[in-house]
Amino acid sequence: MSAAQNSPRVVVIGAGIVGAATAYYLTRAGAQVTVIDALTPAAGASGASDGAVSVATKRPGPMMRLAREARSLYGALERDGVLSGLFHRRSTYLFARTAEEVALLESHGADLANEGERVIALTRNDLLARIPGFGAAILAGLEVPDDGHALGYQVVNRLLAQAGVVVRRHCPVRGLSIAQRRVVGVETDDQQIAADVVVVAAGLGSSPLMGIDDVLVPRKGQLIVTDRASTKGAALPGPLMSARYLVAKRAATPGQSGVSLVIDPLRTGQFLIGSSREEGCADRQTDARTVAAILRDALEVYPALARQRVIRTFAGVRTATRDGLPIVGHHPQLAGLVIATGFEGDGICLGPLMGAAAARLACGLEAQIDIDFLTPKRFPTPAMAT
Amino acid sequence: MSGTLYWMGDAVAFRAGETVAAALRRSGIDDFGPALGELRARYFCGIGSCQACLVSLNGDSLIEACLTPAREGMRLSAALPLAEEHGHE
Amino acid sequence: MSEPDVLVVGGGPAGVAAAIELAQLGLTVTLAEQGSRLGGAIHRQYVGQGESPLAIPGRHRRHWQGLALGLANAGERIRVMVEAVFLGVDGDSRFLLDDRRAGKVIGLSPKAVVLAVGAIERIVPRPGWELPGVTTAGGMQLQLKETGEAPTGAILIAGNGPLPLALGAQLAAAGNPPLAILERGEPWRAALRHPAAAVAGLRSPAHVAEAAGYALRLARAGVPYRSGWSVTAIEALRQGLLVSCQHVSGRTMQHRVAHLALHDGLATNSSGLPAPVVDGVAIVRAGDCREVLGADAAISDGLRAARTIARQLCPAAPQRELARDFERELAAARRMQRSIQTLCRAADWPIAPDTVVCRCEGLRRSDLDSLQGASSAREIRLLGRFGMGACQGRSCLASVKAITAEAGASFDITVADPVVQRWPLRPVSVVALAAFSDV
Repeated sequence: MSAAQNSPRVVVIGAGIVGAATAYYLTRAGAQVTVIDALTPAAGASGASDGAVSVATKRPGPMMRLAREARSLYGALERDGVLSGLFHRRSTYLFARTAEEVALLESHGADLANEGERVIALTRNDLLARIPGFGAAILAGLEVPDDGHALGYQVVNRLLAQAGVVVRRHCPVRGLSIAQRRVVGVETDDQQIAADVVVVAAGLGSSPLMGIDDVLVPRKGQLIVTDRASTKGAALPGPLMSARYLVAKRAATPGQSGVSLVIDPLRTGQFLIGSSREEGCADRQTDARTVAAILRDALEVYPALARQRVIRTFAGVRTATRDGLPIVGHHPQLAGLVIATGFEGDGICLGPLMGAAAARLACGLEAQIDIDFLTPKRFPTPAMAT
Repeated sequence: MSGTLYWMGDAVAFRAGETVAAALRRSGIDDFGPALGELRARYFCGIGSCQACLVSLNGDSLIEACLTPAREGMRLSAALPLAEEHGHE
Repeated sequence: MSEPDVLVVGGGPAGVAAAIELAQLGLTVTLAEQGSRLGGAIHRQYVGQGESPLAIPGRHRRHWQGLALGLANAGERIRVMVEAVFLGVDGDSRFLLDDRRAGKVIGLSPKAVVLAVGAIERIVPRPGWELPGVTTAGGMQLQLKETGEAPTGAILIAGNGPLPLALGAQLAAAGNPPLAILERGEPWRAALRHPAAAVAGLRSPAHVAEAAGYALRLARAGVPYRSGWSVTAIEALRQGLLVSCQHVSGRTMQHRVAHLALHDGLATNSSGLPAPVVDGVAIVRAGDCREVLGADAAISDGLRAARTIARQLCPAAPQRELARDFERELAAARRMQRSIQTLCRAADWPIAPDTVVCRCEGLRRSDLDSLQGASSAREIRLLGRFGMGACQGRSCLASVKAITAEAGASFDITVADPVVQRWPLRPVSVVALAAFSDV
């Protein structure tokens, strides 16, 4: 890369939130950036997710610390004008419906506090004072006041605009050009694009490009959008998240299918209600059985939803990994290849931070944060053709 | 006239079999209340397609006035104000 | 309730004709109609006692009487569900109905489906089209048929094609003739330029007789028919509407009215409807939603759809003799429609920046113009919110297409993702959907 050290040519594969953030930081660092997407910007999980920039639900340990960093970065980008108007502070409300969930909230609250996060334990009455209309089944809650909200597709659009990058749309990458164990470009249907470095941030589409098999798994989530409950901004002070969500998040071995309820008040006054976790499903269909189950759960938690109509359902496909951790780092064998994928449901929260890290790696620098535990080297790599 | 429904608290007569929209318009109610973008809700397409005639029925979820048959004692109101009670920010 | 062999969506002439034919072929049918009565737009039933005061052509009355009789004779084979709104097909290939009488969504798994949901009226946005007091001509006509009463106060009809004539005559019959009927096209001039189209139009005696009947009634009521006139803007007054109109020659005129009926033609209605086959289930479209050919042809098309399905579901059964040549009937109707289109052809005008394009979200043309660089339906939806409102883009679909076409692109904003079955096609109450069950 020496010839191009100051202005490396970088191809970013994937115009989701991680790819867009990578492109943004790369252009700031002076790189010549090309962003390619098989479809259009935010066409994958970034455009089909809730906008939780949330520490409240993260697994205790390094992921929780990363989420705190990531949320701070949103705040900084908001203040600097890069994401002005797109990131909003708001509380997250975790709620418990069983004694076990109450106990889980207690231990999770302690874990959050240990990391330095502000938390407020709420009795049922405290909850009702904040959110009138909480259903009778709710026993207790936990408020995480410093969380935030950003819509993935808006962030992607803004970061790409700020980067001044025009995305090559509908341009699937068929393979990487490799010479002497080094990636030297990408191959699309009609051309070869030379590059000093390639960043793969293509969600499930990353699998064939990174040459590490059986690591990425699709996990579908069905989501529901209602009509407006308010015309003056969000209809609730923050999202209502089931403690059951934590069960899934905290599990050492992810992979259970089921519903983890989130009632997310959008700034349009609508509600976004989700979501299922459907292991191994990569289609984007929604079905009445699952949607009805989510809605029944939601009505139990917040009966005022009975006043709303469902205007849309959609599904997003999260890119999960076998061990539940994202993959960010240099490819174990190929030089000039950086991988940033596998964020499952945390892509919106972690996207800008991980994009910043991937950009530094692509420029031959160390990431400014500890992401060693996310390295792709933790997975066995098949011997690669050189 | 064979029945009475209520629009924003006022009695409106209707004939059995006709839609809510027909009853309201006969009573001179063409403006069904505020809609987004400082527009007004109103009867338009008559076939449920345009969603411009939404009203609130008994405080529950919205209905299309053009599709819904008028029934005795219905309490109808404009679609939006209901929602504003519990807005934040 | 048990699973029907065939689901028929839409209780207008095409749907009812299809249901009757299917029942006669030995199949069980669920006939779902979103309104509270069958009949569709053309045969909307009068709710009063006795005869409707309107001028309903005898041919239409007889057709509906025939269909009503057929329904009665079909007995148990046809289960009619009214106030049942079709929500589309979900990922499990269930055909979803919002059963509003029962307050719940049900899922059907029929062997075949007929979609006969009717045409939609095209309305080109102009400033003020979103105001109360402005309706589609079809919308005004539906209420007129239902109640037998014309709206009170001055009425103006501004449209394109034959529907405004029928509406004007029916308003006159109900005692409140419109101030005028404005026709955007210039049919007389067009007839001179395209004599073949005029002759083709005259080849259908039933339609000629119907038009003559309307013209006579309008003449008697002294209603002027002004061709070459378009409505360019509408303003709300303290009471009523001020409607600005312009002739093709550039002359202008204003009318003060209480009600304005707009109509820029009829269009097929395919927005969001499922593909021809879903998971092995044949889905046949019939009537004006498939091709706008009018009420008579809708019956033929419904019968044709029923035969198509019967051939697939019971291939072994002896085919009923084709007493009628559907293709010939449809071709005749097509000639008639083409002739009308030729005679009434009128150019659309550009949509001004502050004109409301998406009424659901209160968005204007300038909002769409500001989305420069959004080059997919998905981006226009997500970033611009066009197509994201309660009507799910059905109303602004054509306008957005026309506006983006000016810049060399074109989007069907009702399609967020072409490979995904989209549902619900209509908003549905959270409570009803939460109560979802299979039949």
